[in-house]
Amino acid sequence: MRGPVRTLRVAAAAAGLAVLVGATAAHGAADPRKVVRDVFPAAETGFDPAAVSDLYSAGVIRAIFETLLTYDYLARPAKLVPQVAAAMPQATDDGRTWTVKVRPGIHFAADPAFGGRKRELTAADVVYSFKRLADPKLRSPWSFLVEGKFVGLDEETAAAKKSGRFDYDRKVAGLEAVDRYTVRFRMKDPDYNLPYVMAHEAAAVVAREVVEKYAESDGRVMSNPVGTGPYRLGQWVRSAKIVLEANADYRGFTWDFAPQQPGDDRLVARMKGKSMPQVGRVEISVMEEDQARWLAFQGGELDLMNMEGPLAPNAIGADGRIAPALAAKGVRLDRFVEPEIRFIYWNMRDPDTGGLAQEKVALRRALAMSYDAAEEVRVVLNGQAVEAAYPIPPGVVGHDPAWKSAIRYDPAGANALLDRFGYKRGPDGWRTWPDGRPLVITYASRPDTQNRQLEELVKKGYDAIGVRMAPQKDRFPELLKQEKQCRLPSREAAWVADYPDGDNFMQLFYGPNSYQSNFACVTIPEYDALYKRTVRMPPGPERDRLYREMVRILEAYAPHRMTVSRYRNQLIQPRVEGYRKHPTLPSQWQYIDVGANPN
Amino acid sequence: MWAYVIRRLWQMIPTIVGVVLLVFVLFNLFGGDPAYVLAGKISNPEQIDNIRRQLGVDQPYYVQLGIFFKQILTADFGASWSTNEPVSHILATRLGPSLTVLVPLLVLETLIAIGLALAVAYVRGSLTDRMVMIVCTVGLSVSILVYIIVFQYVFAYQLGWFPVQGWGNDFRENLVRYASLPILILLVVSIAPNLRLYRTFVLDEINQDYVRTARAKGLSENRIMWVHVLRNASIPMITHVMAALPGLLIGAFLVERFFSIPGIGREVILAVERSDFPVIKALTVYVAIATMVANLAADPHVQGRRPAGAAQMSALFDPHPGCAGRPQRGGRR
Amino acid sequence: MNDATMKPPLAARREIPHVVSPGLWTLAWRRLVSDSVAMVSLAIVVAFVLLMAASGLGVIAADWAREVGVNYAPPTFVGPDAAPAAPGAPGRAGEPAAPAGPTPGSAFDSTVVDPIGDVLAELKAEAKGKAEAPPAPGGFVDPLADVMKEIDAAKAAPPEGKSVDPLADVMKDIEAGRGAKEPAAAPAATERRATLPFGADKWGRDVIAKTIKGSETSIFVGLAAALVATFIGTVLGAVAGYYGRWVDDTLNWFYSIFSSIPYLLLILAVAAVLQHKGTMTIVFILGLTGWTGVFRLIRAEYLKHKGREYVQAADAIGASNARRMFRHIFPNVSHVVLVQMSILVVAFIKSEVILSYLGFGVPVDVVSWGSMLNEAQNELLLGKWWQLAAAGGTMAVLVTAFSLFTDALRDALDPKLKGTTGQ
Repeated sequence: MRGPVRTLRVAAAAAGLAVLVGATAAHGAADPRKVVRDVFPAAETGFDPAAVSDLYSAGVIRAIFETLLTYDYLARPAKLVPQVAAAMPQATDDGRTWTVKVRPGIHFAADPAFGGRKRELTAADVVYSFKRLADPKLRSPWSFLVEGKFVGLDEETAAAKKSGRFDYDRKVAGLEAVDRYTVRFRMKDPDYNLPYVMAHEAAAVVAREVVEKYAESDGRVMSNPVGTGPYRLGQWVRSAKIVLEANADYRGFTWDFAPQQPGDDRLVARMKGKSMPQVGRVEISVMEEDQARWLAFQGGELDLMNMEGPLAPNAIGADGRIAPALAAKGVRLDRFVEPEIRFIYWNMRDPDTGGLAQEKVALRRALAMSYDAAEEVRVVLNGQAVEAAYPIPPGVVGHDPAWKSAIRYDPAGANALLDRFGYKRGPDGWRTWPDGRPLVITYASRPDTQNRQLEELVKKGYDAIGVRMAPQKDRFPELLKQEKQCRLPSREAAWVADYPDGDNFMQLFYGPNSYQSNFACVTIPEYDALYKRTVRMPPGPERDRLYREMVRILEAYAPHRMTVSRYRNQLIQPRVEGYRKHPTLPSQWQYIDVGANPN
Repeated sequence: MWAYVIRRLWQMIPTIVGVVLLVFVLFNLFGGDPAYVLAGKISNPEQIDNIRRQLGVDQPYYVQLGIFFKQILTADFGASWSTNEPVSHILATRLGPSLTVLVPLLVLETLIAIGLALAVAYVRGSLTDRMVMIVCTVGLSVSILVYIIVFQYVFAYQLGWFPVQGWGNDFRENLVRYASLPILILLVVSIAPNLRLYRTFVLDEINQDYVRTARAKGLSENRIMWVHVLRNASIPMITHVMAALPGLLIGAFLVERFFSIPGIGREVILAVERSDFPVIKALTVYVAIATMVANLAADPHVQGRRPAGAAQMSALFDPHPGCAGRPQRGGRR
Repeated sequence: MNDATMKPPLAARREIPHVVSPGLWTLAWRRLVSDSVAMVSLAIVVAFVLLMAASGLGVIAADWAREVGVNYAPPTFVGPDAAPAAPGAPGRAGEPAAPAGPTPGSAFDSTVVDPIGDVLAELKAEAKGKAEAPPAPGGFVDPLADVMKEIDAAKAAPPEGKSVDPLADVMKDIEAGRGAKEPAAAPAATERRATLPFGADKWGRDVIAKTIKGSETSIFVGLAAALVATFIGTVLGAVAGYYGRWVDDTLNWFYSIFSSIPYLLLILAVAAVLQHKGTMTIVFILGLTGWTGVFRLIRAEYLKHKGREYVQAADAIGASNARRMFRHIFPNVSHVVLVQMSILVVAFIKSEVILSYLGFGVPVDVVSWGSMLNEAQNELLLGKWWQLAAAGGTMAVLVTAFSLFTDALRDALDPKLKGTTGQ
């Protein structure tokens, strides 16, 4: 985590202005009349950083809580900067020990848990927040971020499983508050990804008093978030409407980010020097249906909207630019490729498609070659994606933009390969296994419209090479269960970056991660040997070289077919200033400004 | 009559037990395993076991079933597995929006259907009668999905008569502003079957002896229709409406989703998607009980009406049978 | 809808001995024929059934899945799109379209992103070098290497590398064999039409053919599910009503359970239990959850009929229970069954749409009105209204005809209502 460190200039004076404890009056800069209206396409679950895993709740958590580090708003490639940390963490001992200072004078919002006053954030809060991720009672979906990493923490987890209670008071060698403002992390192995964990919503700093006051039966605090961030939870109608109000105890900051991309200059010119946050009130509605979101945005009921594939042609032309009609109204488009990959896999432990035997490899490759990813981009996703070649997507450390995949859409080649390996065509045109059984490959998917279209595309590809496709439809929990038991034959899986580092993607194909995150249960000894070397390396050309070799191995054995990475198309109404969607941050209301309210 | 009510209530118990057993079998044995979703993106079998233990789904089935019964008896279903929101709170907060749509819907529907029913029964057999019935049937024949898509696009977006979607805190605002279009859509699909049913109620009354007597006494036809016939025919109509309410609570999920109304139906879909058993179980049991109570309330014995009509009435007011309930609910879904 | 239940009160019935009128059906038919709305409706329904049969036999719309038009080809009367809709040119021969390059305003600019250091330039340079001459994969053995060599047609190496691409050799082999016909390839762009009589769907399939095929599926689902539900309801209702006592109690208990559980949850649960195999799954989901109404009415009918003289007479001549139930009583309640069934057909055709919305629709190689409407859900906003109109309109016509016919049938079969409507 070297690299230039941008220090956010703290508007210290402003922080002292708003001291009306408990009042809804916002921080000096935030104007309660400045309202921004955003939309979630799925219901939130709750606001306990350690306990929620959905993107939308994470967005709200980002606005209420803060993390040690965060990402620079405009810097691309994404760049870590301190948030509650005073400076970037220092690594010693080959990346085994990390020390980070907490900036003094950061306060949790006033709350009855603190006797109605605000309370300063200290190193002990950071340690407490990390420990919560390992508490088995909480069953945190983010426990993998800490599990097996910190010296002594796994033992605490094991003890808590036995006793039923996690002992937060016991010292853990790997997670230590050295003094009031200093935290020291000790890792079992060199770990250069720790700074990303420090910037993850799951590790947002919570206060122990708040947890102990409001904890629900399982130790989670889903409905009483109290943080140090710019907003606090106002009105909340579950799975319908979330209102965030400016946190009167927030210290504020001055908008000062350097332009990076085309179009940033204008944005910086308008925003630079403003006291943030400007927006005093964020109103988020939950709308599940594409039609409702789009009509509401067009009708001016929303200021921001992420335009997804199905309706994208309404707003975005073939050239990737905003439609003229919208441009005339002043609506802007912020468009980039999501840090995600999608891939169709064939279970490597499946008795039919799995294994490393030559004829199985040939079958998987033929199946991979039968899939027309360009058609997926063009027809299924309405052009709102790019074909993916490399398993590390754009925007993530380790991505190789020049990569040419060995696996391409080539039904004729696939047919030749199958012919070669004795998958003979019967009189009806369908192929059989070498032993004469009909060749049927099951493809599983979730029951919704877009997945149905993908299924149609997979079937078209299989049809063209004489392979029968058997559909399997299940709801997501069931698919996930079978997948994590290595029982699901094949499906299109997706992986969105938890943090923008290649390791987050390459671990998907590491043999020992089967039953965890290795969907296809890929086990290729050559790959695993290389992967083990990469995890102990800092990012850099040497690691990238190994990654490329590993990707070639994957392509040779073809446990999967890379398909696409989707575009994110953020539509912005003209009254919103300073909006630039960050690929990793789930929300950015604190960085924007809005003009007068339309109503 | 009270003895009868108590007997009927007593008879509900085996039904509730059956409902509980069926729900338990369908969801615990065949429903998705929530642990894998709750475990997050990267999880190992140990974490899955831990979650299953925390949720209690690793217990033997008889223990889980016992807990389920205990939950029903104490009316405490715990909290949602994915959001930790207490189930009682879910019910309390989602019921309001649902009823804001459904109660006005049922009132309007009943008024319109009764009015039309009396009118067409009055001119029964005429061209008007047939045309009204045909128009209503055509209205019913378009899928509710098409209505929602087209009405939201045309009336809310293009013409701007209604907001596209939304829900506020103010009851009046919700009712007048946000619920209008959903109610209109539901009216279109539900008037036809009810009109048909109510028309037969009216015709049934017209053939009663008292009407002939009234006619013989020289009462005006208007008075007969609007006073005598309406008074008698409205009882089965109102009970029919009441009995339909519980089913609609969940049946209206489609409009709730498209118009972002935070009601019960949307919650059910969400709970099923998340394999959120506590919510599913509570909603099923409560709606089942509500259905049974509504059926009981619709029972003419309970209302102390003339026994002669009882046999036919109880068969008529069943909210579920194909005669009216099922297709109607099908239409609303 | 209530013919079965609108019988005169018990006391009145005693005096009018129930006659098993052999003329019931004849009379009903006569009444139907005299009803013009009923006959028009019947004609429409028959036309649909014929359509379904023709489509089922593969006479028409057999190749509905062929992509004959460009994507979203508009109806002929609308005229072709002036500029092909975004994105990408419609229709293509089979070569993969070039992946969309970085577009103006895109945040990433074909660079490797590294928040940690500035290895960026370094990597870029390396990546560039890689594209030109990728290093041989070190340390792993291509499982197909031998075969690749064997089938190597000794062509020029593909541009992106010599030994790296594990499929390079097969590609060469294939290049050599190209020119021969490709099996089952999509029609080339030139064959795809810019307009179709009623437009094309997303993939370029003819909406008319799709609607015909969809009608077949939806009508089949409606009829078959109604048959299943009516069968279950009739048999259980007959048994409960005929035997009474504990049999009745048990079945009634069963009935009240099924009718108390919210219909939507019941459907979702049954769908989860049945898994998802195909069109028949939908039939069973609907059939297994939709029988309660029939049960209730049939049970009531059997309760009424079992005390009648003709049943007692059958008893006297020693007819078995089953014979009495189904040979003697059933013909007298069959009109109820028929009307219930036709009501269910309509209800199930509509339910199929909702099942599709919930994701429990027909499998991917089958098309139904429900799958079309759900596909078309977003198309209206894109201005591609034709699939929505075709599926929604066709369905409305059939459902209207079927409902009107059902109404007429009910009136025709019900001697009491007949009297009132005829006044």
